[in-house]
Amino acid sequence: MKKFLVTMLLLAATASSAHAGLKVVGRGDAMRLDPTSFPPAMKANYDVMRTKCVKCHTLERTIVAIQTGVAPISGQPFDRTATKAYGIKMLRKPDSNMTKPEVKATVDLMNYLLSEAGQ
Amino acid sequence: MFLKRVTAAALLTLGFVLAPLLVPEKADAIPAFSRQHKTECSTCHTIYPELNEFGDAFLKNSYVWPHKKNGAKAVSAATQGGEPAGNEWATISGLPLQLPISLTATADLAYDNDAADGNKVNLSTRSLTLHAGGSLRDVAGFFLTYNLYSQGAGHAGSEALTPARNTNTPPNNDPDIDELFLVWRHALNSPVNLKVGRFEPKLSLWKKSNRILPVPSYASTTYLVGNSPFSSDATEDGIELNAVLGNRLFVAAGIVDRDGQDREDGYGHISYKFGGTDLKGQEPELELEGESIWDYLAITTGVFGYWGQNGQFNNGIAQNLNNFRRIGAEADILYKRLHLKGSGSFGRDSNPTLWVRQEVDSRAYTLEGEYYLGAPVNLVPLFRYEHLDTGNGGTKRFIPALAYSPLQNLKLSLEYIHSEAPEGNSNTAFASLAFSL
Repeated sequence: MKKFLVTMLLLAATASSAHAGLKVVGRGDAMRLDPTSFPPAMKANYDVMRTKCVKCHTLERTIVAIQTGVAPISGQPFDRTATKAYGIKMLRKPDSNMTKPEVKATVDLMNYLLSEAGQ
Repeated sequence: MFLKRVTAAALLTLGFVLAPLLVPEKADAIPAFSRQHKTECSTCHTIYPELNEFGDAFLKNSYVWPHKKNGAKAVSAATQGGEPAGNEWATISGLPLQLPISLTATADLAYDNDAADGNKVNLSTRSLTLHAGGSLRDVAGFFLTYNLYSQGAGHAGSEALTPARNTNTPPNNDPDIDELFLVWRHALNSPVNLKVGRFEPKLSLWKKSNRILPVPSYASTTYLVGNSPFSSDATEDGIELNAVLGNRLFVAAGIVDRDGQDREDGYGHISYKFGGTDLKGQEPELELEGESIWDYLAITTGVFGYWGQNGQFNNGIAQNLNNFRRIGAEADILYKRLHLKGSGSFGRDSNPTLWVRQEVDSRAYTLEGEYYLGAPVNLVPLFRYEHLDTGNGGTKRFIPALAYSPLQNLKLSLEYIHSEAPEGNSNTAFASLAFSL
């Protein structure tokens, strides 16, 4: 019985840590996500995000929005509707140098991260 | 003589060519709105001071973040600790947390091949302008532009349109308030904003200060007729009602109080935006799979009219009155990095000399195309063509130019102005360095 309880507690602890938040490395401008636990498709999407998005802003801005569910500058909810709107905004930004597939990759990633963060 | 000319031209060109090599690792832009909203200049500008689509929405929303939801700030504070409870005093009193001011300085170099005084190279034009802007608890927006210092003669007739004779400052370029106004946003819970103070009456699609090259200003909005000091883009004391209707229609109407008059001037503007970010800052609905021309295309068209009266002052009373009117039509086309602007204005003045009554019809056109190269080198080549006829025969101007922004709050521009006027042709090269902090 004891063994069963310990096993269940360990399982519960593992499960909760997997959904409790994002694995973040570094602080401030150097803040990054740890993609080791991402599915392969999301790892590829993260490669797009960490090379394209940081040309204009830090990843911290995106990570804080995902963690809190609130866009840090506008103070508006950061949900699945917002991720698409921001994606479109970046697509249309003249010097973002992002294609539609790249924008779609980052939007998919942000939606995945929102789910992982429990937002 | 020839060597001097070549040297000046070579220095201008060399400086401009080498400038892009100084690409910084990071851009820090810190004027008032940027500080207030903790965001970079490129949120609202392409190369400052030109507004992008979101910047235009921010302007039309009276300096309040577009489509901001009630309570959003509170949520933000609660989740991030962004604004601690210790700032309650600011919320209750309506005071901005930071003093919302910034400064813009310019230093210009003009080379005028046909300078009347023989001084072909002029380094003495410079200006320093104080800006303030923001909102008071989102109920009211405010904006101030104060010319702390500017070098150059005041506007007097068409001479002042020559950049060599003036800096990129408005007509009232003596130390003075250029703009100072308050906007009561969404008055009585309606979509109507009430603007009061000194401001540029909403006629053109673009504020004169919101262009990559403010000097010379667009002929179609800045031209003067005879001795009349009126131009469409001059700041005036007035009251304006404006509103964004249905997300894409913008309307404005107002009255202007001109000194020494027994009546007010009146004006109106209406514009509509097809495609692109709407006037409330919301991105268009588009699919992330497949392509459509409307993914990137935005077309804004507008018309305006102004009816007024001015005259020659005598003991504070205007005499030899001049009744004038302007009507105009404009279009703004944005496709990815290409930006095209067209502006046409027609006018009639009953007594523009303010002395010998003689009616004058006037017309002016401006066409401008720019291509925003963007990161990693924030360079914009542009070309402007202008035609102006104020009753003295037509003047044409051809203006190729380059603007470069190594930092978001620093801009270098180089332009060449070829003018063909009835009194003769002229060529001017004009370099400008501007920065804001």
